[in-house]
Order: sequence, then C-alpha cells, then structure tokens
Amino acid sequence: MLSSFDPRINRLGLPESAPPPPDKAALDQFPTYEVFHQRKENAAYAYVGPVHAPEADVAFLFAKEQFSRRFPCTGLWVVPTSAIQVTGYVGDQESVYDQLPLLPADALPAAAAATDEAYDIFHLKKRGKAHAHVGQVRAASPEAALQQAKAAFGDQRPVVNVWVICSADVLRSDDDDRDMWTTTPDKKYREAIAYKVQDRIDRFKQEG
Amino acid sequence: MYGSASTHDIPAKATTGLENEDPILLAEFEARIARGEKIEPTDWMPQLYRKQLTRMIEQHAHSEIIGSLPEGTWITRAPGFRRKMAQMAKVQDEVGHAQLLYSAAETLGKTREQMLSDLVNGKSKYSNVFNYPTPTWADSNVISWLIDAGAIVNQMANAKGSYGPYCRALDRICAEEAFHLKYGHDAVVHMATGTPVQRKMMQEALNRWWPAIMTFFGPSDKMSVHTEILMRWKVKMATNDACRQQFLDMYVPKIWEIGLTLPDANLRKNEDGVWEFTEPDWEDFKRVINGDGPCNAERIAVRRAAEENGAWVRRALLQPQARYVRPLA
Amino acid sequence: MNPTLDLLYRLADDQLILGHRNSEWNGLGPILEEDIAFSSMAQDKLGHALQLYTLLHELGEAEPDTVAFTRNAPQFHCCQLTELPIGEYDFSLIRHFLFDHAELLRFEALAGSSYEPLAQVARKVKGELKYHVLHANTWVKRLGSATEEAIGRMQAALEFTLPYALGIFETTDAEPDIIRSGLFIGEAELQARWEASIGKVLAQTALTLPDLRTLTPVGGGRRGQHTEYLQPLLDEMAEVFRLDPTADW
Repeated sequence: MLSSFDPRINRLGLPESAPPPPDKAALDQFPTYEVFHQRKENAAYAYVGPVHAPEADVAFLFAKEQFSRRFPCTGLWVVPTSAIQVTGYVGDQESVYDQLPLLPADALPAAAAATDEAYDIFHLKKRGKAHAHVGQVRAASPEAALQQAKAAFGDQRPVVNVWVICSADVLRSDDDDRDMWTTTPDKKYREAIAYKVQDRIDRFKQEG
Repeated sequence: MYGSASTHDIPAKATTGLENEDPILLAEFEARIARGEKIEPTDWMPQLYRKQLTRMIEQHAHSEIIGSLPEGTWITRAPGFRRKMAQMAKVQDEVGHAQLLYSAAETLGKTREQMLSDLVNGKSKYSNVFNYPTPTWADSNVISWLIDAGAIVNQMANAKGSYGPYCRALDRICAEEAFHLKYGHDAVVHMATGTPVQRKMMQEALNRWWPAIMTFFGPSDKMSVHTEILMRWKVKMATNDACRQQFLDMYVPKIWEIGLTLPDANLRKNEDGVWEFTEPDWEDFKRVINGDGPCNAERIAVRRAAEENGAWVRRALLQPQARYVRPLA
Repeated sequence: MNPTLDLLYRLADDQLILGHRNSEWNGLGPILEEDIAFSSMAQDKLGHALQLYTLLHELGEAEPDTVAFTRNAPQFHCCQLTELPIGEYDFSLIRHFLFDHAELLRFEALAGSSYEPLAQVARKVKGELKYHVLHANTWVKRLGSATEEAIGRMQAALEFTLPYALGIFETTDAEPDIIRSGLFIGEAELQARWEASIGKVLAQTALTLPDLRTLTPVGGGRRGQHTEYLQPLLDEMAEVFRLDPTADW
C-alpha cells in the first residue's frame, strides 16, 4: 500500500502502483455557466468567471462558494454560457456598436411588441477587465436586443465587447438570500489583515 | 502556487511555425500587444501563442491542484482553531485557483476534463516543488510562506501578460494570495520565535526546503530566439533569474531577521546588489521533474483516486442533452 | 452538569468533529467546484464550534483551544454520527443532509433561547446554515433521482446512516431543565421537526425513507460513549498541538 505523510491519504488505501486510468470520457464534461457578482447594494453585476455544472441550481451552489466566499457579496447571477450572445471584440479605444450594420430606419419597431422579451446587456470597457451589467432592453430577438442596446447605451465609450443575455436565462439570487453572505466579512482568518506579526518580530529582535 | 520551474521553453531547434501565419494578421496581433491591449479568446492569434499559453496556464492549474496536497497533508493536524481554519481556507483556495486557471485555459480550446486526464496520465507537468514531502507541520508552513511568496512574484509578473482570461484569473488569485503569504509568515514567525522544540522543527524544515525553493523559478535563462518571441508576445513576462533575484531580495532578510539560517554558505548579496548563491543541482531537478522524486507517484495516485472515487457522482449528474461549451472569457 | 454547559458542549463538539471530518475531503472531492463548497461548510462548522467554545470559556471553562485539543474521547459529547470516517461521497453527503437539517432547525429554535449569548450566535449563523441545507437538498434531490447507480448508493447510505442520525437527538439528564428554563425546545421536539423536514425533501426523490420507528437509534455519544473512530481522530487532530504544550503555534 502507498504510504504517505498524510493520514487522509493512508486511509484511502491506495495501491503502491496502479496502471494509468483510461482517458476520461467526454461524459464528464458538464456544461459551463458564467457567473456575475454584485459586491454591494446597487453596484453593477460584474463578470467573475465560469463554473462547470450539470444544471443551473448546482451552478449556483458552486458559484456561491467559488466566487463569493472571499469578497463581500449582495447578489449572484448564473447564466448558461450557451445562452450568451457575444459580439466581436474591438480595440480599447473603440465601440463595438460602431460596427453594427446600419439597419433601415423602419427595422427597429417604434413600439414594443407584446411578445418582446427582456434582455440583459453587459459591456466590456477594456480588454483584460470584466464585463459589467449596464441595463436591460426589450426586444424580439438577441439581434434586435443588440440594436436596442446600441440605442440605449451606445453613447458609452469605449465598448470593447457586448454580451446579450435573454433575462429569462439568468438565475438570480433572491433578495432574501442575502443573509447567506452576512457572515462573510467576519471570516477574518482568511484575510491578510488578520495576521499581524511585527510586534512579535520586534520583541524577538530586542531579546536577541 | 507556481514558478517557471515546470515550463520548458520551446527547444531552440523547434520551428515556431510563424512562417505559416498570415503576415497581416500577425502584424495586427503584435501591434495590439505592443499597444498594451490584451488578447481576448475570439481574437486571431498565432498557433504558437495558443499552444504555449495553453501549456503554461494548464501547468499552472495543475500546480494549484497538486499544490493543495503537501499542505493538505496537515489539514487534519493544524494546531489550534486559528491555524486549523486558516489551513483549510488556504488549501481550499488552491483548489479554487486551479478552477480559475483551468477555466482560463479552456478559453483557448482545451477542455478541463482533457487537462485533468492528461494530469492523471502523467502527460502534463506541474511545479516540481510539489514532488517533495511535508514530513512536519513546519514544512507545511514553509510552503505557505515561501512557496507562495515565490508564486506571487511569478504571478504578479504574469498578471501583466497579454492574454485577457489569464490576467483576469491572476488578478483574482493575487488578491487571494495576500492572505496565504501573511498566514504563512505568521506561522513561520510563531515557530521561529517560539519554544526550542518549535525553533528546531522550523529550522529543519527550512533546511529541507531551501534547495527546492532555489529551483522554484527554473534554470537560469538561456535567451533563445523563441524566449524572445514569448517575451515580445507577453507570454513570458520576466526571466527566471530576475524572478529569483526579486524573491531573494524580498525574503532572505525576512528569514534572517527571525533568527533562521539558510543552508547555503555562499548565499550573499554582492556589492552590485546581486544575490550570489550555490548553483542548484539541476541534474537532480531534471531527475525529479521527470518522475523520480520522492512524491511524484503519490501525487498522481491521489489525483487519480479523487477522479475515480468521484466518477459515479459526475456520471449521475450528467444530463444526456447537456452540451459542453467552452467558457467565454 | 449545569444545563447550559451540557447543551453547549453537545453543540460545540458536534460542530468541531463533523467540521474536522468534512475537512478531510479538501482537495479530494468529486468535482473541483464541489470540493470548494464542501470545504467552506467545514470551515463554517469549525467557526460555529469556536463561537460555542468561546461561550463556554465565558462561563468559566478552559480556552477553546485547550477544550478542543486536549480532551479525550470520553470527555466529548458529540453524537456518534459526526465521528464516523468520511467513507465515500454518498455517505458524506447523506450525513451532511441529515445533520444539517437538524442543525438548521436547532439553530432556528436557539435563536429564541433564554440564554441570550447563545441566541445571538444562532441568529448570526442562520444564513450560513441556509446555504448548507440548500446545498444538501440540491445534492440529495439530484443524486436521489439520477442513475440507478446513484440512487442505489444514496439509498444504502441513507439506511446505514439513519440510526446514527437518530443519535443526534439523544438526551442527557439535563434535558428537563434545558426545556423548563427555555434554553432550548428539547430534542424530542427537534426530532419531530427534523423528520418532517427531511421527509419533504426525500419525497421529491426516488429514495425511500424507512419507518424511523423500526430503527434503533445509535446513542451514547452525548454521555461520552463513542465509536472506535473518535480517539484516533482526536489524537490525529492534536498531534502537533501536543508536541509542545507550552508552545504558541
């Protein structure tokens, strides 16, 4: 049996040597979900990264600990990656809205149709930074939503990249879920600020 | 927790393949990087850039997941509530960092499961320091402080690199590592300034780990043509020697001030402000990284066991209609 | 034992031992993200234990570290459920589900305890426990209605674990005083609420909850009688701490 300095490993009872396992099958590859985090009340939701999960409820469980355990949080959204419509990327000084094909004047309906759906719009202001939520529009399709977003938010510059997400695809934490994050700031043992050791060093040097 | 020690630069003889790339696109790509703009996943990029970054970020991710094991060795034995909870949080962060880094690598086209598969099949490398054991609690503290310190030197440099998803992951990782560094320092200081039993334990652990720490940033740089390309593309941000010097400058005084010694009689800062030291045993380094270290077999066996023991869970959760999509950013 | 001390020791020891056990999964979990989530909950349990031992210290007991790291098994009041080895993930999840449902309901009730410092702790950790139970429920619902393999594993784990879980509600001689003084609603009432609570979740799965009346609860833990696993756990936990009892680690 494999003998380790780690008692946990010894309890696994692993063989001294085992043949390598076969390559993992594709079945292990869960869908991915993109996660957005709100750091304080009224702040825009910002992109923090993806999780792998079989479904949205599990994605939420995973996202909560992976992306909000170390920083204050008042809300979390998770969205299937496949549900996000992405524009191309432009340079840091440009706006991707400038590249949208000009639609004929009558292409944008003057009034919202009853069948229109809400879409959440996210902007990337600078390459290497994170997408942030700018607002919602109502439209009949993601393409139309992008045109609506240009009308509503197109004056913001730069806009390096835009994500368009049908609002119905966003799993959002409820207002009364906020208490899940109440104690996060109390967990000082995982913050640098809790470790102050200079006094001890000074005392040691004096006694030296 | 990662140094350059596992990233082998492209062999000097290998072709860069650049002659096959579209010169106009390549010029635009290089101009963007020269302007200080980041590359994002759907941008055009040379094959060599994609390949090198994938390998580097993947190895970094492996180093985090494997790096959780030597400190995990002491997770059930950390003395006192404060240490016990912090040790758990630190090991947890390493797993979290692996998750972030695998995600960044996935945006380049390789799936996470393929990367994990390559790890347990011994096809990928990870930071060589984790092939050494942690026989005492003090060894774990040395990793928490000094290996993390080395990793931060490396990661702060890489966070200024050119690939957007890697920068985003590293920004988050560096923010979390601040705790690791302070926690590790705190634990080492408590031991080094503590009782004779503690001091002895800490000094012995430091003696054991110092040779590995000196290899953490990898062999001295041989500035091949290809290293130049990788530095121009901001894939490699600092030379191994520069990182090592920066590390020594920041941490040797902190080690000495708490009465600990380092097992290298030649270690000193010369008049030019450059640290001199006994050249690490790179032959031994090569032997260990190629599989013949004290813990290589255990590290891989444990990862395999975790994968195999968890396979039924993943099988059960899989939705037949679900489709993997690579993360966006 | 004084009813307040009796209650606090049982609560604190449960949290410490199960938090310790669950931390063993750190780095070895079935999915990276789950590894992280499970570790957070183990840390939370350690945090609860520390807060409860601090209350004990304020009542004249030794420092939390001394209480946690120097006692031997017969001096522990945790239920035996918490001390069992982590086993496979099915067992660890079922234990988490059964224990944390009881814990959430227990702390909800303790929020109204006549002992105000305890009530304050209970109110404070409510949100954490909400996540723990959400996590447990999601997993039990998913795995409990997934593949034949998963359902079989979860059912077997449930049947193995339930007698130990009933040991959560083992009472001590202080029970009548605890109820009379309004410290806590009492274990019988808690158990009734727990049965309803786990039943509701299990009903949404392919798992079958056996008739609990037919099971023999595994007790003894509350009175210092433990499985063969507790003393080795404590020895391991205190290995470094005991190397030098005068040291500040």
